[in-house]
Amino acid sequence: MSVILDHLPELWQGLIVTLQLTAASFAGAVVLGVLVCAMRVAPVQVLRALGTAYVEALQNLPLLVLLVLAFFGLPEIGVKAEPLVTAIVVIACYEAAYIAEALRSGVNSVAKGQGEAARAIGLTFGQSLRHVVLPQALRTVVQPIGNIFIATAMNTALAAAVGVVDLTAAAQRVNLIEAQPIPIFVGAGVAYGLIAAVAGFVTGRLERRLVILR
Amino acid sequence: MKRFVAVIAVALLGLAACGESSSPAVPGVPGESTQPKTDVLAKAPVAAAADLLPGSTMEKIKQRGELLVGGSLDAPLLSQQNPVTGEVEGFDAAMGKALAKYILGEPKVKIVNSASETREALLANGTVDVVFQTYTITEERAKQVAFAGPYYTSGLTIAVKKGTTGITKPEDLNGKKVLAGANTPAIPAIKKLAPQAEIITFGSDPECVQALKQDRGVAYVQDETILIADAQKDPSIEIVTKPFTSDPYGIGLKHGDDQFKTFVNGWLKKMQDAGAWQEIWKSSIGTVVTGDAPAPPRIGSVPGS
Repeated sequence: MSVILDHLPELWQGLIVTLQLTAASFAGAVVLGVLVCAMRVAPVQVLRALGTAYVEALQNLPLLVLLVLAFFGLPEIGVKAEPLVTAIVVIACYEAAYIAEALRSGVNSVAKGQGEAARAIGLTFGQSLRHVVLPQALRTVVQPIGNIFIATAMNTALAAAVGVVDLTAAAQRVNLIEAQPIPIFVGAGVAYGLIAAVAGFVTGRLERRLVILR
Repeated sequence: MKRFVAVIAVALLGLAACGESSSPAVPGVPGESTQPKTDVLAKAPVAAAADLLPGSTMEKIKQRGELLVGGSLDAPLLSQQNPVTGEVEGFDAAMGKALAKYILGEPKVKIVNSASETREALLANGTVDVVFQTYTITEERAKQVAFAGPYYTSGLTIAVKKGTTGITKPEDLNGKKVLAGANTPAIPAIKKLAPQAEIITFGSDPECVQALKQDRGVAYVQDETILIADAQKDPSIEIVTKPFTSDPYGIGLKHGDDQFKTFVNGWLKKMQDAGAWQEIWKSSIGTVVTGDAPAPPRIGSVPGS
């Protein structure tokens, strides 16, 4: 236990980076995920195909592979970014595929009549999506989106592979000196567990408040 | 109550997920020894039956019929799995086989791929008998594990892209971006000698070299042996200093097992006297470092050993 207290500044700094990574990449994932979902349910075939291709490509590659590819591969064609920026963008793109799929299941749960009614009163596709379908879809998928948030937080641990000093990397560095893996990694595990617990608690509350009883 | 249980469950799930991504403690691809290199191990001694004291760790290993070694599968010249033969080759790997030969009469080892985060835990819970993995002896670590040896002394040095100027000593790294292998002694060494350096770490040596070539950092701090091998393969990088640290590598053993430590130290002495240590050096590190094998470090010469 004292080993954690002795190295609290480094571990705390790592935790801050983990939280930054989680928040920034999740925010990016939500924005991108809504766009991809809109493409997947769009009436234009080309857009639907592009959306499907995006989801299939991103969901079928391990995040670690994507991170290493983006970090070491993109500079070869002249695109180079800082480790933290690379990690945020890659994790956001990856999780966006999952957000899009969760949202799509929400869209599918909205009664067909809702979309027809929206068209009947003269709303365009974008308007009916924005004002009628998506608000209802979002309220149905609070829990799945919360789970994706938790997965995002856990997946940030892979950012250490491209040089980001997050909580996992900080714990590894402390252990390198102190050689006490069990207290150090249990401590880091508890911190990740707390992030997950808070996320679970918040989504539970949100779900109860937003749920649509059908 | 139900909600509380749900929160705990989610938290535990989080913990499990975290454990998965950060601890490669699960013995990975076991490097099973099939064809011992008899030429290198020919001089390696075999213990007298009387040395395997009843009830000792060595006797347990003898009964099991194989030595469980914590090591790497991706460290060039030290412990690297040959993708063609499946054999693990290098200085550390050969030393592990020689110790197995000493106890069992044949070099039968099973290499458990242990990450540097998990070595202490693997030794403490008995997953491995010994660790041969560039395991630098430090006094902090000696509180958790017993170290036989040192069996090799190495040192950190600096590589840069060819043509880089202004870096001739570790202090020149201040204020610069410096690359290092994750979980290597380079990190504390840079922090000590160049506190203003920004350290960027990657999991493996090839990644660090790639990052150096892509200007992600101006210098790469790593063990001299590894850097020499890198510079030989890739003429676009060069080494700019002599080694500026001295890292004594020890053989990790379970903490408190003095009987086994004495036994392993005795084996190491015999290896040096028989010239087997030197043979192993020549067949691994000696393939990139020119000249004769160096004098092996004196056993027990470092605090913690």
